Amino acid sequence: MKKVLGVTLGILTAIGGFVDIGDLVTNALVGARFGLHLAWVVIVGVIGICLYAEMCGRVVAMSGRPVFDLIRERLGPRTGLLTLVASFLVTLLTLIAEIGGVALAFELASGVNYLLWMPLAAFAVWLVIWRVKFSRLEQVFGLMGLLLVVFAVALFKLGPDWGELLHQATRPHPIGPEDWSTYAYFAIALFGAAMTPYEVFFFSSGGVEEKWTRRDLVTARSNVFVGFPLGGILSLAIMGCTAVLFLPAGIQVGTLGQVTLPVAVALGKIGLAIVLIGVFAATFGAALETALSCGYTIAQYRGWQWGKLVRPREASRFHVVMIVCIVLAMLTLLTSVDPVLVTEYSVVFAAMALPLTYLPILIVANDPDYVGKETNGPLRNAFGLVYLALLVVASLAAIPLMIITKGGQ
Amino acid sequence: MPRTPDTSGRVLHAQLHLLDRQLIDQADGHLAGKIDDVELDLDADPPVVAALITGRERITARRIAAIDTAVTVVVEDLDLDYYDNWVENHVIAKIPGAGDATE
Repeated sequence: MKKVLGVTLGILTAIGGFVDIGDLVTNALVGARFGLHLAWVVIVGVIGICLYAEMCGRVVAMSGRPVFDLIRERLGPRTGLLTLVASFLVTLLTLIAEIGGVALAFELASGVNYLLWMPLAAFAVWLVIWRVKFSRLEQVFGLMGLLLVVFAVALFKLGPDWGELLHQATRPHPIGPEDWSTYAYFAIALFGAAMTPYEVFFFSSGGVEEKWTRRDLVTARSNVFVGFPLGGILSLAIMGCTAVLFLPAGIQVGTLGQVTLPVAVALGKIGLAIVLIGVFAATFGAALETALSCGYTIAQYRGWQWGKLVRPREASRFHVVMIVCIVLAMLTLLTSVDPVLVTEYSVVFAAMALPLTYLPILIVANDPDYVGKETNGPLRNAFGLVYLALLVVASLAAIPLMIITKGGQ
Repeated sequence: MPRTPDTSGRVLHAQLHLLDRQLIDQADGHLAGKIDDVELDLDADPPVVAALITGRERITARRIAAIDTAVTVVVEDLDLDYYDNWVENHVIAKIPGAGDATE
């Protein structure tokens, strides 16, 4: 019974934890501009993250070593360093976006400008990392993030023409004033939002924090194969809401307020309250995950003691990295750069770093030294290679498309 | 190659099995850096690993306790935690709660 409870809890946490500021903003923005004509990318992205997160979970459960530990071991110090720099910068950018998202959620709830909330949000993120046990922080914010299901309820309440939505979803091409270049640009953004590198760093390091062994393979797999797809459905619900409400009116999404507006329209004040708590939990939870991932990547590359399973003073350099990152994020946001814009760029930069992150995982998941008999079968390798090719294409196309479309305008 | 009770006779590939691998302190299980370089004794036949280099410290082969997905070593008097201790004493220990387990 305890086992079932543990698995259920893990799945619920994975659903709530799947959506972060990148998914919220990108899905809402895409829904308003392209309807569901890009919905297929979310599905492709979710399958990709499931495929690779499962490999990470397996490597951790079998070898007790997290991903970044092995990236340097298998790529060598130089390529490893390149991977570290790229992944770290993208994760830091994501951290900036998440803390901005927390402050924006407070602004929406209180009417007080987000810049005033921001130092408080940053401090709260640090305090939780400093004081709260790993399993607890993962569960609390994951479960609260489940409140975002309200987007799915709102979509039903808006009473859309389901035939029209299905029609859009099955026709993958740009519409109205959009052309193929913006279509491709936002496809890459959605892909980057679904497969953000920090997810695998956090997932695999979390496996070590929770002391996974081969007996936890079931837990790891159920989190991945049930939790992530359900999280993907949340993403699609967000896209559907803005597709129904904003697309016909020709309104573009540029603020977090607009992301939550469909819920307020459909469900009134109570809906708005629920969605704001959900947005807060999703962004705060992701801020914790990205801040920890900043520490995980550097500490694991250098071989330092890391993790929340030891007291802070025993992992001092790990904690210093996180403090510096949170302060950097706060200073960046205090320049009054628009957090929503930071988010839009962070998912595209994430797409650029993807091949560097995922290639070593594919290599290690085939190495009997680490996973024993649990190496990838031919099917998983075939899928893994197809996705690697996709990641390379997305990564190479990201910058040219960003220039051609002037950042998706 | 180092000869220890559980790896005796095992042929290891220095680049694959040692280089850039995580070091673990046998005494407390703490992570103690990466293997930056491997020093070989070329006079022996066949050549054997003489020491592992991490940062500025040299870990002689007889200190190696186990080689698995990480390498466990007997640290004793080696100062592998120099920088970590410096950061601990100058920054982290000054913040309240640094020595407490999380709740």
